[in-house]
Formats: sequence, structure tokens, C-alpha cells
Amino acid sequence: MIKAVEKPVSHSEKDKTVRITIDGRSIDAPKGMNLLEVARSNGIDIPSLCYHPGLEAFGACRLCVVEITKPGWENWRKLVTSCLYPVEEDLIVYTRSPEVMENRRVVLDLQLARVPNSDVIRQLAAEYGIHDTTYTKRKDADNCILCGICVRVCEAVGANAISTLSRGPDKYVEVPDPEACIGCLACAESCPTDAIGWHEENGIRHIWHRDFELVECETCGKPILTQQQIDHFVEKSGLEERYFAKCDSCRKKETAVSISRVMF
Amino acid sequence: MSEQVAEKTCTCAEKFNGTLQAIFDRYPREESSLIMVLQDVQEELNWLPPEAINCVAENLNVPKAKVQGVATFYRAFSLEPRGKKLVKVCMGTACHVRGAGMLVDELERRLEVNAGKGMSPDGEFSLETVNCVGACAMAPAIVVGENYYANMGPDKLKRLLNKERES
Repeated sequence: MIKAVEKPVSHSEKDKTVRITIDGRSIDAPKGMNLLEVARSNGIDIPSLCYHPGLEAFGACRLCVVEITKPGWENWRKLVTSCLYPVEEDLIVYTRSPEVMENRRVVLDLQLARVPNSDVIRQLAAEYGIHDTTYTKRKDADNCILCGICVRVCEAVGANAISTLSRGPDKYVEVPDPEACIGCLACAESCPTDAIGWHEENGIRHIWHRDFELVECETCGKPILTQQQIDHFVEKSGLEERYFAKCDSCRKKETAVSISRVMF
Repeated sequence: MSEQVAEKTCTCAEKFNGTLQAIFDRYPREESSLIMVLQDVQEELNWLPPEAINCVAENLNVPKAKVQGVATFYRAFSLEPRGKKLVKVCMGTACHVRGAGMLVDELERRLEVNAGKGMSPDGEFSLETVNCVGACAMAPAIVVGENYYANMGPDKLKRLLNKERES
């Protein structure tokens, strides 16, 4: 069962902080935090596609590989996926070594064969000097790279509607039971390659072969949520349905007005 | 809580004469039982009909999407009806060199069925190729149910099928 992950809290105690070296920079990081987060929070960019800060790391895209070593390893280095690697004392990390770059190039070359039409992948590949794939392009390719974020996000939301079906080269993402989908767009918005199509028209949201009627904000009339979303949130959060009757900006306006009444 | 779960019956369980209910009672009703339950359901019904998949999802309290994902992932699960008997033609290296391909062609013709898809019009047989049954000395080998047939040739298939039809 995938749950939303709690971010490691920063500890002031010395034994819970480790000192590591990334690309020659000495960095203090909370013990057990994954390498990718540590690097990113220190302004060191590591590319990734299947990593989502709100979900458990998955290690599927292999793009966030880095090379690691330790003082006692006698110059021996190994490649690891930084999203899955917890930091430990004395770790020495190289995020842009020739080995790492070569690995990322292979991954992006393969991704480009899978999703030749994806702008995200094309741009990323171009950054690594790959402008055309050396492999055979997939025919009738959509933009899905099978990173599994949509599946995991849907599980975290609690709708459990999305799943990968079949296996190997035939694997694809689908909603086998459209009834379970609440039309919340969490999957589409967290998809790194914008592979999940949806559109809204005349108060109807269309996603995953299904039309959802949108509930309008009772103050400004802007379409905000699907009824299925409201029902789901009410059930999960215990909030009253009234809470979802207004859109965010109307609710904030209302709060501001009531605060100003009290204050002035 | 556990009593409540045990009492829970769905209309789909009755559809298969309560056979599914008996399977669910054999395992703890949780996600980790999923593959075992699906295997037993397939043994019982010979394939996994959509209603059975929904029923498994409901009774094990696992999302339908997940059950569907597992059922399509493993080759051992069939999502379309299969014949009473499964004819497996070994396509391992030894069998392949000794003409397993011809056996598949001949069986497809005789049974009017495609390997790995559907069943013969009389509903008796389904045909499948497997990568190695570990009987290379018997190559080319065919396995029907529990019966192994050694040193097969296209000319021996008529007798094999007749024998299997009778038993």
C-alpha cells in the first residue's frame, strides 16, 4: 500500500545529521533522507521523471542515477538511483561524472524511442546531446513513459482507479473500472510527460473515457469540482459537504471580510 | 470487524454456485492472498471472467484496478474462456529443433484455434506454446493436462487428440 510519505524532519542532534560530499561540496543532511532530495534542496540539479516528492520513491526511470563512493572503498565507485538511496556518513557523490552522463544518455535515448513526440523528453534528451534516438521509434506512440506516478498518485488520493495492465512491451496505463475514477485530475497534473489527456467544456470535465459534471461555486459560479470528488473528500476527510460549496478564492475573500469585521 | 467481513456476501458469489465463496474462505481476506485466490478461481472456472475478477476485488477488499493489473500481468491467468483441456506445445530449444513449430501448425489446423488465443469450436481444447517443460530428452514434447507425450510428430497428433477427447 502506497501512502503519502512524511518528509524527514530536520534534527538538531548531531547523530541524526550526516556530512556528505556532492560534486566536491560538503553538505550536512538529515540521516536517511534520500540523496535526490538532499541534492535538490542544496541547489544541485539531478534530473528525474518518476520521482514525486509526495510519494514513496519508485526507482523506475533510472534517470536520477549518480555515482557514489566512500573513503574506505579504495576508489571503487558504483551507480545508484539517488531517489532510493538514503544518505549516510562520509558518502561521496558525483552527479555529473562521465559514467553517470553516459547512463543518462542511454536512458534518454531509449525514452526517445518510446515517446518520440513528447516535448519534455525531447528537450531533456537534447540537454544531454541526443537529438534523435538510435533505436526504433515506437509506432503510434502516446506520451506515456510508464513511470507509474499516476498509478501511485491515484492510490494516495484513495480512488485506486488507475493501474498498469499487461506486461513487458505491451504494458500500458488504464482505468479498468471507470466507476472508481473521481475525475480529480491528480494523475493528469502529476504526469511528467502530459500523457493523460483531459478537457473541460460547458461545465463538463472529460477524462479517462468518462464525462464528469462540474459543481459550480455557489458565489461566483465558476466550475470547481466534480460531485464524485466532493463525495470522496467528504468521506475521507470528515469535512462537511458545505466546505466544498465555494471555490478557493471566494472562500478566502469571505474569510478576509469576516476577519476585517472583527479587527476594524 | 472480522465477523462483519466474513458475513459479507455479494451477488456475484452466487453466480458461480458458491464455488468462489469456498475459495475466499480458504485464505485471509487481504491483498497478499490475491494471487492464490486468482489461481484457485482460475482452476475452478478454467479462466477469469470479468464478474469473477470483480467478485475477488470486492471480497478481498482490493481495488478492482489492482486485481485487473495482476490478472493481466501474469501469463498464467487467462482473461478469455479456455477449453476443458490445455494443450501445451514445448518450444524449448530441443523441441524447436526437432519440429515443434510443425506441431503447432498442425494442432492449430486440427483444433481450429490459434495458439494462445481462444478455444476449439467444440470447447474441448485450448492451445498454448510454452518455453520449456524440462523434458528435452522427449523432444518434441506435448503436455495435455497432466499427460506428457514424447517424440511427437504431426502424424501422431490425430491419435493424441482422440485419446484426450475420450479420457
